[in-house]
Parts: sequence; structure tokens; C-alpha cells
Amino acid sequence: MQNTQARSNIYALLSRILMQELDLELYNTIRNDKNILEFFPNFDKWDLLTEMDDNTILTEHLNPDFVNLTLLHLIPYETFYTREDQKIETGGANPVTDIYSEYDFVVDFEAARVVSADHIGVEYEFMHHLCELELEAMKANDQAAVNDIRFTQKTFLNKHLVAWAPQFLINMKYESRTPLYYDAAEMALEFILTDNEYVSKGSVEL
Amino acid sequence: MYLETRRTFLKGAAFTVAGAAMAKGVFTTDAIAESISESKFTDTPDSLSFYPPMEEWADYKELSGEDWKRGGISRHGVRSEDNPDGILVHDYVVVPTACSNCEASCGLTAFIDKKTFTVKKYMGNPLHPASRGRNCAKGYATQSQMYDPDRLAFPIKRAPGSKRGEGKWIRTTWDEAMTTIGKKMGDTLRKGDELSKKSVMFHVGRPNENGFTGKVWHTLGSDCFNSHTNICSSGGRTPTIQWSNDDRTSPDWANAKLLFLNSSHAADAGHYFQQSASFIADARQKGAKLVVMDPRMSNSAGMADLWIAAWPGTEPAVYLYLVNRILNEDKVDKKFVKKWLNWEVFMDNKKYMEYIHGKNYIDNMPKDNSFESFLEVLQDLYKPYTLEYTVKETHVPAYKLEQLYDMFIWAGDAISSYFWRATAAGNRGGWMSGRTGYLPIALRGAIGTEGGTFFHHWHVISVAGKGGSSTVGQGKRGSNIPKVDVWNELSWPPEWPLSTYEMSFLLPHLLTDTDWQEKWIKRGLNVPQKLAVWIPRMYNPVWINPDGFRWLEVLKDESKMELTFNLSPTWSETNWHVDYVLPVGLAGERHDQHSEATMPARWTSFRQPVMRVALEKAGWKPKNPNRATLEAHIKAGLGEVWEENEFWFDMCVNYIDPKGDIFLDDAKTKTIHSMWESKRHPGKPVTIEEWYDAAFGDNLPNLKSTATSDARYKNAEFPVYEYMRDHGAWMEENNIYSAQEREIKETADHFISHGHKYDKKHVHIDKRTGVMTAESHGKKKSMGIEIDGKKYEGFATLDKKLDFFSEWFADDWKWPEYAIPFYPRTDEEKKEMVHIVSHVNHSYMTEENSYALNTVFRLPYNIHTRSANSKHLMEISQNHDPIWISTGDAKRQGFERGDAIRVKIVDSVSGLDSGYFVAMAVPTEGVLPGTLACSHHGGRWKLKNSVTIPNGVSDGKVSGAPMERNMMDPEFMKQAPNNVGKDGGQITIADYDGTSGMNSYGVPVAEMVTDGKVGTLKYTQGIQPFHADRFKDYNKDSDNIWWDGLSGSWQNAVAPVHPDPISGMHCWHQKVILEAAQPGDKIGDIYVDYENNFNTYKAWRDELTRPLNADDKLRRPQHIKRPWVPLSDKAYAVEIKDV
Repeated sequence: MQNTQARSNIYALLSRILMQELDLELYNTIRNDKNILEFFPNFDKWDLLTEMDDNTILTEHLNPDFVNLTLLHLIPYETFYTREDQKIETGGANPVTDIYSEYDFVVDFEAARVVSADHIGVEYEFMHHLCELELEAMKANDQAAVNDIRFTQKTFLNKHLVAWAPQFLINMKYESRTPLYYDAAEMALEFILTDNEYVSKGSVEL
Repeated sequence: MYLETRRTFLKGAAFTVAGAAMAKGVFTTDAIAESISESKFTDTPDSLSFYPPMEEWADYKELSGEDWKRGGISRHGVRSEDNPDGILVHDYVVVPTACSNCEASCGLTAFIDKKTFTVKKYMGNPLHPASRGRNCAKGYATQSQMYDPDRLAFPIKRAPGSKRGEGKWIRTTWDEAMTTIGKKMGDTLRKGDELSKKSVMFHVGRPNENGFTGKVWHTLGSDCFNSHTNICSSGGRTPTIQWSNDDRTSPDWANAKLLFLNSSHAADAGHYFQQSASFIADARQKGAKLVVMDPRMSNSAGMADLWIAAWPGTEPAVYLYLVNRILNEDKVDKKFVKKWLNWEVFMDNKKYMEYIHGKNYIDNMPKDNSFESFLEVLQDLYKPYTLEYTVKETHVPAYKLEQLYDMFIWAGDAISSYFWRATAAGNRGGWMSGRTGYLPIALRGAIGTEGGTFFHHWHVISVAGKGGSSTVGQGKRGSNIPKVDVWNELSWPPEWPLSTYEMSFLLPHLLTDTDWQEKWIKRGLNVPQKLAVWIPRMYNPVWINPDGFRWLEVLKDESKMELTFNLSPTWSETNWHVDYVLPVGLAGERHDQHSEATMPARWTSFRQPVMRVALEKAGWKPKNPNRATLEAHIKAGLGEVWEENEFWFDMCVNYIDPKGDIFLDDAKTKTIHSMWESKRHPGKPVTIEEWYDAAFGDNLPNLKSTATSDARYKNAEFPVYEYMRDHGAWMEENNIYSAQEREIKETADHFISHGHKYDKKHVHIDKRTGVMTAESHGKKKSMGIEIDGKKYEGFATLDKKLDFFSEWFADDWKWPEYAIPFYPRTDEEKKEMVHIVSHVNHSYMTEENSYALNTVFRLPYNIHTRSANSKHLMEISQNHDPIWISTGDAKRQGFERGDAIRVKIVDSVSGLDSGYFVAMAVPTEGVLPGTLACSHHGGRWKLKNSVTIPNGVSDGKVSGAPMERNMMDPEFMKQAPNNVGKDGGQITIADYDGTSGMNSYGVPVAEMVTDGKVGTLKYTQGIQPFHADRFKDYNKDSDNIWWDGLSGSWQNAVAPVHPDPISGMHCWHQKVILEAAQPGDKIGDIYVDYENNFNTYKAWRDELTRPLNADDKLRRPQHIKRPWVPLSDKAYAVEIKDV
């Protein structure tokens, strides 16, 4: 259960970082949590953190970097990477919507501020919700449900996230101009590869 | 690899904040809708066509993109009575109009929601032949401007007892304003003397129409139409006048092989931006090369095949380098040059040949006057423009010039260029860039070809002022309107007889310069010393013109400008200082016929008030047909917002000359009243339908034939008008190439050229030049040219060819040294030929840290002064106006990115300091060392954050929305406001409590101090988030303003006027000296010594011009364009006393 909790938290953290620019609250959460900071070694040592106030770091460095990485220069949508014509499928034919629908999940685009349900942040958040469901099933000692949810996780990772996100995250890592997003890209990449192995084998210790 | 180096992720369980609290939470759970099979809609459209077919425009249904985000129709189905939770479907009527946010007039379509009677979106018009359904950011911004919470909702006037600029306003009615203004105009014009015809001045910024208001001033019998052109483009027009007696260039971008952009232009943010950029993209897709010549690396320079950063004003040297090589390497298209350059006139003018020989332009006199000798003279003339010389003068590296030449030759006769903006408008003598620039293009035969460069008048439709057959008095196409017989020295001063357009930016100087007035009065001219009425329109001269404090002084002086009013939809620096502001509409709220030369075709757009058109097409009738647009805008909730066409129809008939006793002719048969009185409804002003049906129908035969044979229109009362109303655009003629070769039609007795008939008996054909001259009423007129036995219409010049040699310029108008394309070859010549050497040439950069400042480029997404009412445009254009400085220069002066620096303006003619502005330094490799760039479009200001207008609330007024706005409700469609524009018809403005902001999205608050000599401006408060009540559905995020608008400076106020002695262009570039900011300086501060600026104006006038003198008998050559109103011979005639 501890593994699942860890996975849920990490998926949540990464989904939030990849979906929208940071706000002060999340920024402070990251800065004040030594366990999180261990995943962000370069950010932790960043000179600017001691030289500038938080607001300036956010508005003049981190947020512009986020905009560059996810709006201006890179395209964080699955269909961009998987369709031959590199168009984003914004309609109901998007391949992830079926699997979301199985759980009666609908993406609130207003809240997400994305154009399509296959945004990387949304897909990470979907994994977070699956982990939360798994936790609930575990608490209810419903092993069959746990197995079902694990199967969905494995399917989703293999058919979707792992199939394209590494390409985006490698690009993101090399395009990033701040250590936070550099570290986030590296962490997100390593994590889904590890997690894929974990859910596939069902025995890897985190 | 990753698995080998992976970390443990178990620590994720120990985060202090749980994942659920960190996740954004973008998933909601929802059930799938049951029934979607009946709908025509799908979650994903089958095709990506942006526009419905025109047949569906009257009734077009589309899923709401906003609502669709709840999960699409596969989840919710389509909203209906049975399925109230379904996705909303908009029920639209689509009405075409045209953008008015720049000069290009791209098509727009308004998607008007029938249920709320609001515009939900503006898209492009797929029927527009040149914009092809596309728009730039400015086009789509029309919606945000329409529903700007600060837009003026009713006519206002300066509060009685207050002074101009005090900011005290009261609400008034259209009728009161028109009565007061009409009486003042009528009383002035009724005098009928010379001065009265120079005293009611209209002053247009962006005309965006083709001749309507000019026609109004023509029918007022006044020479009082002023325009902004000489702060814009006169330096670009002068060379075209000299070469072809045309107005401007008209390239065929889409088919060019070489796209040679001069300055920030076309593909950047410049003239005709979106259409040109699209055509340029088409050409590049086909393999064309793009060259950008600009000292600043503009957006287009950044993606060009070649960027040439020439020192400002030295571009002629680049062109003449090309000429030199073309001649020496035998690359001349001899067939074209022999046929279409006026080499015979040049070679036959022995006196001129001796003149240029005497000035060492050529080493040898020609052996004869043959074409071969002409080419030899050219070789002789242009041999000094070597690679070495050009590199030294322009600072362009040799390899780039060589690459340019190779591309130029490779492109053959498919070279498209445009002579405009910074090069032409920034530099003294900037017109010579176009004069020299046309030469290599002509030598390669690339004039008028497919993919080549041609001229404006063949590619434009100007009929907005030609609806005269619908009136009692004007006659067909205005043929019965008498010519104006006075000459206004305030707009056409005797120092600048060849000015392309009016010297409008000197208006405050000329009105206050009593020495100048008296000097010319003594010499016999009747110079006005004040204006009875001054009417700016879509114009903000206080802010955009140079020497803004001088404008403020004059505007506040009621003895110089007795009554002033602005026809304007928004607040501005100028409006704050006038007597009345009368709100007229934006792009989707006014009628205009608008055409531009953006492709080798003749197209026109038809701008329309879309809400009115939607109502009328659905059967609505206004109470007062002469105020239909005003009534429609009240019904639409925009306020008492009108349009100019109906305003001027009504003004002329009912307010300026209500009794029909202001006569335009000595015989007293023609009145102002009759000029705009409806032929169909005598006694009433002409209506929009009547006027435009005549304007289009009388002048565009192909349109008329199409409209009157179309089953939808042929039985209509106004078939041509209705065709344009429904389509919004029309192409009269396509693929117009080499139009000078159109052959003259011949009958037994007549020649027919340009639609005019000439009796053969009165036509003389010159044996040497082939020029066909017709004699009529004692005057000679060139009407064609015979070449190798064929008779052609030719160009619009006197000799019907392209004028390499401008004979009239040399022999009659005092400028022989510049009558052929030329540029000084030595330092001595530069000192002598100061008129064509830029005032920011490197030879003037003698002081330490002096630079040439390039000011002439538009900010992306902005339109001069007309963007501040759009949140959309303001948000995407912040922090775009720093000082670009080369990294080497910045390092030398110790400036870093973001530093505030003082930019001190120094004039190289008078030697006087103008003051300084404080700007932000941005070191970059994207600017030529020694030059700077800072667009002169930054630094808007206002003196108060909001304005309270008493009497602005209901006080018993008529409800603006007597019922819910819904086009499907028959009661709403029946209703029309009573007494519109009259005292009893004032409406309550919805969601308006009597106080309004002023351009709250884009203009910060400043404090201004002036004492008549020195002026300062300092910002006190940046732009801030605010709460909008008016149009709140469209302004929901007015609380989300993250910018303060404090990144620019009002540099135009510091700039002195720099009137070019020949073109009359205000030469915008500045010689500046950079200093570090002083303690207390903030970006945006300005300090102006405008007394010094006045002396700089005098220095440019007195040291550089060649004014009319006692030998002159004409004010200006009669064969070149004198814009807006036709003048009689009496007006052209002049007698200057020798005192």
C-alpha cells in the first residue's frame, strides 16, 4: 500500500507540474519538502533561489520556461507524437477518451487549460486517479478490483504514456532553461519507465 | 539505461502534502448521453473548413466551442427542449464586413447570435479575393473592441465654462451637436469668401475608404481636407510619382521569384500585412527568395534568405550598386527599357545633359541621342557605385551585396518590391530610395510582369465618392460638382509645392507662426490665421504626430481652433482636448467602400454595420431611414453609436445647409444641400442603399452585370447594393499585368484611351517620342503613346513612359540635381546634396555615443493608436518597445538588458537639443552597430484614470433595451427607437453608472507639466485590473491584467518636426545621444524643449526648401495628383509679390 501511495503522490506531483505553471503554493510545497527536493537535485542547488524573491523566480524564470516548453516550442500531446500528420486530435476520437470513459472520467478543459484530453499532465493525473482507486480497493481488501485497476494501469502506460511521453520528456529536458523543469523532465521519464516495469512485473520494489 | 540508473521512488509516499491535494483535479465523472444519433453534429468535424457555405449564412447553426468542453455531444447530445443538458448550439446569422484595424481591409464575417443579438465571433470572409478568409490578430480583435467596456456610448461635449483639456464633459444629443457644429460650418461657408473655404478643416488619420469624405469636402467647396499621409508614406509616394505619376507600388508577391522587402514591411507588420504575408508565404512555398533590407532584424528579416542591414538612408547606394553591375555585365532587358523608359526625353534635353556633365555626374557627353548612347550614359553615370564604395557608405558586408546581386539576376523579371516605411519615411531624402530602387527593377524588365512590381492605380477601386447619380445635385459620378477654386496654405504651404500630400503635421506650427503667415500675406497669399472648425477622424495627432506639446498648445487655443470635434469610437489623447466627441462605429459598425492594391487585381471590400444588416435582412425597418445605423446600434446595446456616411448625409442636408442657400457656383444653381439630397426622396438626405447602389453600379460594370443578372438580386430595389451587402467583397478584374500595353481603341474619327474619347483631329503624335497629345479647351494632354506602329495607353506620366528622367522636376520645379536616380558619391557631394542625405547619416554621428535611431516600424499586433481598446491586443503585445542596441555598443556604454537609459534627441540641421525620453535597453545582435531601434508606437497616456459624465444615467430617458434582445422574437424585430439622436430619444445605457474608464486595458495614467516652452510627462499609475460592468460577458477577465503598460515612452512628443524639403514627409528617424539614466528617472519619462523644436522646424523650412517665388505661376504641377478635392485653374494660379 505504501508503494501505491508513493506512486499516487508522484503521479499527482508530476501531473501538476506538467499541466500548468506553478503557483506560489506548489512552489513553496516543493521548496519546503526535502523528500520532493531529492527528486529535484539541480533545482535544490539553484543559485537564484537565494538571490531573488520567490515571486520574481516564478514570474520571470519558471513560468516563462513552462510556457516555452509546453506552449511555444514543444507540443505535450500524445496524438502529436502518434499521428502521422502530427495533428492534435481534439475531438471525441482522441484515443485516450475511451479509457477515461471506462471510469466515467471526463476532462474539464476549463480547469486543465489544455486543448485535448491527451495532454501529458492529464495522462499523469489519470494515472494518479487510478492509483487512488487502487488504494481504495486495497483498503476494502478487494483484490479482484486491485487486479483490474492494475491491469488498466498497465494497459494505459503501455498503450499511451510510455508510448510517447519519453520522446516529449527527452525534448523537454534538453529544451529546459531552468533546473526545475530539467529535473522534472528527468524524474517524469525515469518514473514512468520504472513504474511500467513495476506494474508489468508486479514485483518490483520501489 | 534508465533502469540501471533509476532512483528509488518510495520516498514519494513521504511527501508532506498528499497527491490528491497537489493534483489539479481536471477529471470530472459524467454519464454518456443516450441519444446523439439524430444530430448533424459530430464530436470531431469531418473536415476542417472554417466557414459555412454562403447559402447557410442567413441561418447557420454551430456547436458552442465553449460548452462543448463539458464533454462533447457523444456525452451530452445536442441541447434541445427534450435534452436541456445537451451541448449548446448557436443559431447564427453571418454578415460580412471588412476589418478596419489597418489599411489592408481584409474581409471579416460577424457571427451574430440570434438569441442574444450579439456578435459571438469575428472570422474572415472566404469570399474576399485577397484576404481569402484569413486575418491577423488585429482582425479577430474587432470583437473585443466592439464590446470594450470603455467605448463611448453617446455624444459628449465639453462642459460649459470649462477649458479644453480640463476633462469636464457632459452628455449631449446627436441633434444638439449637429445643430451647433452645422451652424458654425454653415455660417462660415455661407460667407463664400476665400478664407471661409480654408477654415472648416477635416483631418483624417486612417481613411480606410476610397473617396467618400473627400467628396463631402468637394461638395462643401472647400480646400480643407487634411490627412495624416505625410507622417506616413509621402516619401514612398514621391518616387512613384516621378517614375510613373502613380501613387505607390503594387507588387505581385505571390508569383515573385525575388521578394525584396525594403524596411520593416509586408511580411512583418507593415503595409497590407496579412494579405501580403500570405502571398509572400505562397511565393516562398514555390521557391522564391526573400531579402529584407532593414538595419533592424525584424521578424521577416529573421526568416529571410538574406538580411541586409544598411545604414538608414544609404539604401540608394545598394540599388545603384545593382544598377552598376547590371549595366556593366550586360544584364539589361534592352527590349523593355527601350520601349518603356523615357530615354528619348532624357537624351534630347541637351541643356540637362550639359548640366549633369558640368556637375561631373558623367565624364563624357553622349555622341548622339540613340538608345545605345543612352545605355553608355547610364554606364558612365553609375560606374562610381562600386562594391567598395557601397560597402563603405552602407556598412553592408561585400559578400551580402554580391549575394543580393546574384539573387536579383536569378529572379529575372519576377522581382517584387515595395518602397515605403522606414527607408522612405524615416530619412531626409528617403524618397530617393524608391527613386533609385525602381531603376534596377526596370532595367531587368520586372515592371508589370507576373511576379514583378507594378503600380497602384491599376490595382485599386475608388468609387466610395461616386454615388452622385443618387442625389439631386452631384450628377453621375459627381460630374456636376464644381471644382474648388481656393488653395489652402495651411495644408499646402508655398515652401513645399511638390509635397506628396498635405503638410498636416505642421498644422500647429503654421497656425502659430505669425511671422510665416505675415510673410506670405505680404507676398499676396491669403493665408488663414485660424480655423473655424477642426474635425479629426480616426486620428490622434496629439500622440502620434511629432512635437505633441505643440499640438496641445494649439488645440487648447480657442482663438486658433474655434470649434473642434472628433469622430471617434474611443478615448484618445486628442479627444481629451476637443469640444465634442461623437461616437462613430468600428469595423463592424460603419459603411465604407474600401479597396487596396494588394495583388494584381481590382477588388473591393464593403464594410458594413453588421447588426443593422442582420436586422434589415430579417425584415426590420428603422423609424428614420437616414439614421438606420444609429437605431440598429441602439437596439444592439452598443449605445448611441453612429457612422460617418449617414452622419455627413444628414449634416449636409439638414444642418450645414438646411435651407439650400449655400451656393457652390457663381450662377447660384448648386447648393451644398442639393449635393446630398436624395433624388428618390426629394427633401431628404440620400440613404445608404441609394448611395452605394449608385457608387458600385455606376462604376463597376462587371459587378453590375453580375448583380443584375443574379436571380437573387435582379428584381431587388437596389440589386448592386444588396449583392455587396450579402457578399462583402467583389473582384472586378483579375490578373492585371503590364497594363501600360493596353492598346488604344480606334474608330474612324476617335481614339479611345482610359475610357475617354479624343477626336483624331485634335490629337498630335510626336515623331520622336511617339507621345500622343490631345488638345482641348486650350490645354494639351498626353493620352497615349505610339511605339513601333502600335498605340498604347502607356503610363500616367507626361511622356507616357517610365520617367528615368523627370524633366518637369528639373526644368520647372527647381530640383535639377535630383531629377534622375542619384546618390552622393563623395563626402563633398554629401555636404552639397544635403536634401537627399539622411539627417541620420553616419557622417553626422560626430559626438561620442551618438546613434541613428530607427523609429519606423509597427509593433506586432498593434495599429498605431488604435489598439488600446482591445484587451486581446494589449495582452499579447506587452514589453515590445525597448531600445534595440547592438551588443558591442551596449557593452561600450555599460548598458545591460533592462537598464533605463536616456535617449537625447539632437537635430543635425539646427544643432538644437529637443530633450530626452527614458527607455529600456535591450542589447541584441539584431541591430546594425551604431544604429538603434525603438518603434515610435509606445507611450500612450491619459491624465485621469476614469471620467464621470453627469447626466450619463437614465434621468427619465428611454430604455435602451425595451425588451430582451432576441431576433427570433417578432416584437423585438418590430421595435425601432423613437426620436433617435434627438432630445427625447436619449437612451439609458445598460450597466453604466455614469463613470467610465478610458482605454483601461492599454493606457497608463501620467502627469503632465507644460509652460509653453518645456513639457514633461511622467507616469504615475500603470494599468491595473478592474471590474467591468458594461459588456461583462465579454470582459470577464478584466481582473486578470498582469501588465502595467509602462514599458514605452511617448517619444513622438520629444521629436521635432523634420519636413523633407521635396516630398514633405516628416522624416521620423532621429539622431540621438545615449546616456545612463539619472537618479529619479523612470522608463517612460520624457522632457521636451518644444521651443527648440519650433526653431528646428524653422531651420528645416528655411535652410532646406526652395519656396515659390515671383517667377512661379502655379502652386504645383497640375499633372501630378493633388489629393481629395479637384481644384480649378484659378486655385492653381499664383502671383508671388517680390518683397
